[in-house]
Amino acid sequence: MTAPAVRLHDVHKRYGDRRVLDGVSLDVARGARVGLIGPAASGKSVLLKLACGLERADAGSVELLGEPLAGKAESELGALRKRVGMLFQNYALFDFLTVAGNVAFPLERRGGMAAADLAAQVAARLRAVGLAGSEDKQTSELSGGMKKRVGIARATVADAELVVYDEPTAGLDPVTTQKIYDLLAADQARTGATVLAVSSDVAALAQFVDDIAFLYRGRIIYRGPARTIADAPDPLVRQFVRGELAGPLEDKPAG
Amino acid sequence: MGFPRRVAEHVGGGALAVARETGGIVVLAGQVLRALVPPKIDRRELVKALYKMGNRSVAIVVLTAFFAGGLMTLQTGPFVKRLGATSIAGWGAGYAVLREIGPILIALMFSGRVGANNTAELATMTVTEQLDGLRALSIDPVRFLIVPRVIAMIVTLVALTAIGDLIALQGASVVGHAMLDIEWSTMFHSFADNLKPYDFLHGIYKSMAFGVAIAISSCYFGVTVRGGAVGVGRAVNNAVVASAVSIMLLDFFITYLTG
Repeated sequence: MTAPAVRLHDVHKRYGDRRVLDGVSLDVARGARVGLIGPAASGKSVLLKLACGLERADAGSVELLGEPLAGKAESELGALRKRVGMLFQNYALFDFLTVAGNVAFPLERRGGMAAADLAAQVAARLRAVGLAGSEDKQTSELSGGMKKRVGIARATVADAELVVYDEPTAGLDPVTTQKIYDLLAADQARTGATVLAVSSDVAALAQFVDDIAFLYRGRIIYRGPARTIADAPDPLVRQFVRGELAGPLEDKPAG
Repeated sequence: MGFPRRVAEHVGGGALAVARETGGIVVLAGQVLRALVPPKIDRRELVKALYKMGNRSVAIVVLTAFFAGGLMTLQTGPFVKRLGATSIAGWGAGYAVLREIGPILIALMFSGRVGANNTAELATMTVTEQLDGLRALSIDPVRFLIVPRVIAMIVTLVALTAIGDLIALQGASVVGHAMLDIEWSTMFHSFADNLKPYDFLHGIYKSMAFGVAIAISSCYFGVTVRGGAVGVGRAVNNAVVASAVSIMLLDFFITYLTG
């Protein structure tokens, strides 16, 4: 049996006195599309970074693409991360590179590509996210939505085995949101990559992923099919997804 | 809680914070050294850093050094004239400039201009997750961003100090001639006959040490920033203070140990 693309078991993470993750366990099977939702500051981004080895767990185990991350040196983690694409919540675009430079960066680091092929692939990816003709722009010239799309282009350009999206459509209008999710779905269908996505736009996310997990006070308290998330048996999840003010949900982080 | 206990806690907390930051700086210095073996440096980043840090600092260093040299003559000139010892006017100004004033003044200016800028840049990259972005693409930020900057800062500061020394001697001569009527030849011979190559090298050694201190502390506070825009400001402030303190401490100990 193939190991899951991501496996977290009883993971704990603290920042100073603040307990962010308190025994999180999550498996993401190869080729699956899993969404992660939860109140603000519930540790969703931290969980994504832990899954990619960008943060280290205080306790518990994390496996990425079948390999345990504990005890790995930064260089070994780097080799694993080459197989992962990541979209950061704040885009994390390199301001010392142009738009094309940012998208080309993962391909350049991987090496083995002729300059013409590389430029063509970058142009195709930018066209796919609706940014054709923006190749030579500086990232500081872009709006938030455009930056997000450049980030998506960079995360997906190298056909990674696992793609992690942190708020892929935050700040985008509904039409662009739908376009982005269509693009991500087409991309995933083409590459067969595993997807782990965090989003506050639960309705749009539910159309893209198969499963949704709910992170609350440092733990995954529910996981179920995305299509029926609004009718989840857990009242906390239902209240969150439906955006109801009355209910058992306490909007505060763990710790 | 009694007053003595509060004082003890305050002092202890401060000492712990300083120890933590010092430890962090030492760890980063170790990471930089480790990244230099083997010396795989991103040349594009290095050239960019050298240009940005060096080329754009020359004008301000020239201006400062000129007046610093002139000031030394202005301060000592009246006394050496009164004593009829104009033959050592150049030596007095040159000795002070080459060994102390030049390296310190240029290092402090460099810290305020280049070091602060470096901290702000790295801190902004940190809070906008660009360093995580590099790591996500399996690029070591220390090797890719910090090592080129550290090398560029050390090389640039040494070069600026050498340039500044020469300009300061010219400043001393111009002021000596224009304001104190000391002959050009007197100043020249005063420099040539009394200053030793070691006086120049002493300042250069110091500038190397200052360069390391400014580079490592400015990078450290940049990459360990917390808390958005406010954090960036705090990081810049901490970097400038740490650099200034390091410069003074290093200057004292280098002077004490090497004469």
